[in-house]
Amino acid sequence: MMDQKPLLEARQVFKGFFGNPVLKGVDIALRPGRVHALLGENGAGKSTLINLLSGALQPDSGTIAVDGKPVGRFSPAAARASGIAVVQQELSLTADLSIAENIGLGAFPRRFGLIDYAELHRGVRDVCAMVGLTEPLDMPVADLALGRRQMVEIAKALYRKPRVLILDEPTSSLSAHEAGILAGLIETLRDRGTALLYISHRLNEVQALCSHVTVLKDGGVTADQSLSGIDGEGLVRLMVGRETGDLFPPRASANPGALRVEVEGFSAGLVRDIGFSGRAGEIVGIGGLVGQGQEDLLLGLYGAIPAKAAKAEVSSKPGLPANVGAANAAGLVYVPADRKHEGLVLPHSIASNLILPSLGRLARNGFRDRAGEAGLIAELAKRLTIKGDVARPVQALSGGNQQKVALAKWLPLDPSVLLLNDPTRGVDIETKREIYLMLRGFAAEGRLVIIASSDTPELVHLCDRVVVLREGRVAAELAGEAISEEAIVGAAMGIDRKGAAA
Amino acid sequence: MSAVKSIFRNPPLLTFVLVALVWLIAGLTLRGFGAYGHLRYLLELAAVIGIAAAGQTLVILMGGIDLSVGAIITVTAILLPLISPAWDPTGLVGIALALAIATGIGFLNGAGAAYLRVPPIIMTLAMATFLQGLLVVVAGGSAVTVSNPAVILLGQGRPLGVPSGVLLWIVVSAVVLALIHRMPIGARFLAIGANPLAARLSGVSLTRNTLILYALSGFFAGLAGILVLGMNRQGYVGIGDPYLLTSIAAVVLGGTSILGGRGTYAGTIPGAILLVTTTALITVVNASPGWRSIMFGTLILALLLVSGREARR
Amino acid sequence: MSAVSSSSWLYGAIQRRRNRGLGGLYLIVAAFLILYAVLFPGILSVGGFSKFTQNWFPLALVTMAQALLMLNGGITLAIGPLVSLGAVIAATTMDGVFGVPGGIVAVALTGLAIGAVIGAIVAHLRLPAIIVTLAGSFIITGVALILLPRPGGFIPGWLSNTLAGHTPVAFLLLVVVLVAWKAFLATPLGLGIYAAGDNPVGAFRSGVPVERAKVVAFALSGLLAALAGLFVAAQTGSGDPVIGTPFTLNSIAAAVLGGVGFLGGKGTMRGAICGSLLLSVMINVMFFLGFPPVAQYIAQGLIIVGAVAVPELLKAWRAKR
Repeated sequence: MMDQKPLLEARQVFKGFFGNPVLKGVDIALRPGRVHALLGENGAGKSTLINLLSGALQPDSGTIAVDGKPVGRFSPAAARASGIAVVQQELSLTADLSIAENIGLGAFPRRFGLIDYAELHRGVRDVCAMVGLTEPLDMPVADLALGRRQMVEIAKALYRKPRVLILDEPTSSLSAHEAGILAGLIETLRDRGTALLYISHRLNEVQALCSHVTVLKDGGVTADQSLSGIDGEGLVRLMVGRETGDLFPPRASANPGALRVEVEGFSAGLVRDIGFSGRAGEIVGIGGLVGQGQEDLLLGLYGAIPAKAAKAEVSSKPGLPANVGAANAAGLVYVPADRKHEGLVLPHSIASNLILPSLGRLARNGFRDRAGEAGLIAELAKRLTIKGDVARPVQALSGGNQQKVALAKWLPLDPSVLLLNDPTRGVDIETKREIYLMLRGFAAEGRLVIIASSDTPELVHLCDRVVVLREGRVAAELAGEAISEEAIVGAAMGIDRKGAAA
Repeated sequence: MSAVKSIFRNPPLLTFVLVALVWLIAGLTLRGFGAYGHLRYLLELAAVIGIAAAGQTLVILMGGIDLSVGAIITVTAILLPLISPAWDPTGLVGIALALAIATGIGFLNGAGAAYLRVPPIIMTLAMATFLQGLLVVVAGGSAVTVSNPAVILLGQGRPLGVPSGVLLWIVVSAVVLALIHRMPIGARFLAIGANPLAARLSGVSLTRNTLILYALSGFFAGLAGILVLGMNRQGYVGIGDPYLLTSIAAVVLGGTSILGGRGTYAGTIPGAILLVTTTALITVVNASPGWRSIMFGTLILALLLVSGREARR
Repeated sequence: MSAVSSSSWLYGAIQRRRNRGLGGLYLIVAAFLILYAVLFPGILSVGGFSKFTQNWFPLALVTMAQALLMLNGGITLAIGPLVSLGAVIAATTMDGVFGVPGGIVAVALTGLAIGAVIGAIVAHLRLPAIIVTLAGSFIITGVALILLPRPGGFIPGWLSNTLAGHTPVAFLLLVVVLVAWKAFLATPLGLGIYAAGDNPVGAFRSGVPVERAKVVAFALSGLLAALAGLFVAAQTGSGDPVIGTPFTLNSIAAAVLGGVGFLGGKGTMRGAICGSLLLSVMINVMFFLGFPPVAQYIAQGLIIVGAVAVPELLKAWRAKR
């Protein structure tokens, strides 16, 4: 099988954003009849590589080759013409259009320039049968649940009759039954000679389906080898590159103090009627599959989206914060997952970003205290080892340093509750370790740290307690020894296991 | 060399240098341009634009555009003579009332944008249209003459030979510059202009700042309206129309990004002077309103291309 | 579902689904039309119907021009100036060598070209449509003022009589435009305009030429607005460089009334058309009740804010309960 020519390759591709390199010379070759796994931590560059392979982005240097021939300007349309289809993690569907139109979008059959709806109907019916979509084809996608939309996305890729199929976290919102259908489908396609690239955090899926693996770490390839003879631990070692124990600071003896946050019957966004509490000195993790309400739980507590609760006490005051200002006043702060869009004012200087939440507190008689501000900024920069001129725009910093700024700006408020949303996404390993140390330090100082994370090892090794959300409800609450990757993933996927009883 | 480079990196300074160059060249080549009386006249005209553009600068810094500036100027200029009470010999009560109305209109703009989520451009456009209709119904379309002594003093007085409009502009400039650079609210406006979501999650209240912002814009437009009224001695429907475009143009000429988040009123000041000067020069070559409109449009588009390119970098 | 396999089944089913959520709007429009017919029975005669549809026609066109862009995730503030420019070009070219056909072609090409240029700037330079069209509106206004500084020009009498006489030609033209729109929406590019409005990144990754869709949307929008100007010129018998001004806000008001959202991809063209009909009826009623023409402006301002505000307030009220 190895001697078959690759259908799609990347050769020594480099790609950076705003001067931060994301891919540093990556090679990957997808061969027919093989399921190829792409592994790597969050921020290792997987999404960027997929976007290069599917024509959504152009490499800064290096080439993309189809059937061994380098292609010049690659676009999504050109990729489709070459038989490459992608199932995106972020859905590419249009809510108001029907299932059939969504599946055909970008690849419509035409007659006299118009969409041939009869032909479309035939083709769509076939792929929907393959993925087990039984909903009426004229139904708008807006009416479907997230898992069903994911199946539409898969049907959309199949409709293009791909020679190369790239699946980016396809099972993240699928039920066990749907995931089973998908697994069967992948085997069928593989036997027909399709080249598949499979990206997943679930190592058991990777082991069951894939025969070859490429591992990305900090923008480079650390492994490109056959999967035969490698067990789960071996996979983790390939990904992390060190024993996970090194990364995380030792857990202090849990010694929770006063109740800082307590809500009952809490609803906000996707979160429906849950109870949640946290004590001073605790690190509480929030886990679950993508988009199960983790972010809405944090934003609801932070007063950033409308929320209600049957009973709520935050920082020993009754009721939820009405808005972000009230939350800040109550000692709550929030570090968003998407720091470029939500956490930082990118074109402004490091100094402006660091001082933004403290502007009002430092002002005297309505005017800003420039000297006081400069002192505070210098102190923060020193404390978080942010090097260089603080007048530089924050977008010139690397992902890790940007995250430090997003966190550091809150320190002058002396927060009692820190809400963090995936704080280590796209952060290099050294900064990750610094952040973990800092969070441990916060807990030791008697602050409550609530951290939502898509990185399961992080939840296991950092948190004193883990709440797993599923479809907006608490699927499990784990503490101490009961916290394990199996328990978290099991609860997240709705599989009842020992020790995961809700 | 490095001095030249630093000028190009500093848009307000660049605009100042441009003004100086244009004045120098025009003064040497055009008869009467460099006369004190003419330059004073240009500054007087620039003062109105500068004051109207004070609010516009703040709005654009925060990522919006206020299309009701012209309508608010008209409203103030027409209503002030009608609401100035006869028992007040100073005329200050009338001014206070007119400014309160202008600020109130601005506040309504802010409320529409903040609470009803109407995009600010649409909200202020709707407000301008609404006011246009209301004025004709209320004031009936004929011109009203002002007799308020304070307004006439403001429009015509020249303490120490300096027009009082220019003096008012200096005060406004000091206030606005302090607001942007020395007060927390200025930094908040800038943060919202560059990234509203990040600003909100950093504890900056969008609602509160939007309300304050548009109220301020209304206030400054009202102030400009009073000055225009004093200079013309008459208010009529359409008196404020020219100031909508010129206020936007003065802001972007001063190097403020039309996309928000970057800029300063220190650029708008020379921007307003440059605008008045070029308009005066165009009038010399007898340009029609059509050409003027094309010039403003092209100017905004060109600066949009420049600032858009920088924003993407 | 497999039992039904006639070639048009899927298309018909999808079309029927698009009426969902518009029932209320249809009812309101019907109620207003009935009320109008009771108040002014003249509408039921051929002449009355013709006049009514002639007042509606340009508004329907500019609403389509606006909704097309709002559905694509944009907006335009250049509608009014384009209407004016269309009217001015019609009034200055129809006495030329190529006569009326030449004038129509000139208007259509101008609208298409200006729209395409604006669209190219918005799509390829990634600049916000609202500011680009604001700048564009100043330039277009200037051009109209230079071509025809004051109202005048020449429109042949027979053209005015044909388009704006006592026959429902305008209504028939509207039907033609709507059929053409339906056909366009059944092309891959037409659906691409919708898709690019709702989820631009997803549409791009699916292979929809998002940028081309945007340019085409702006070009068609320019064409519709300029043709509306041609019609207005025929209606008034002359060109006027500022006659289009109210249409900018009217087009937004009608689209918003018809349930088209400000933020991309939400809404339907049929809703927008209903919105324009509703607004047209309101304007007519105000006219017949003896309101001064400027009262229209007051109403427009209130309608826009109201059409956006009421759903927003309802949402907030529901969230609180």
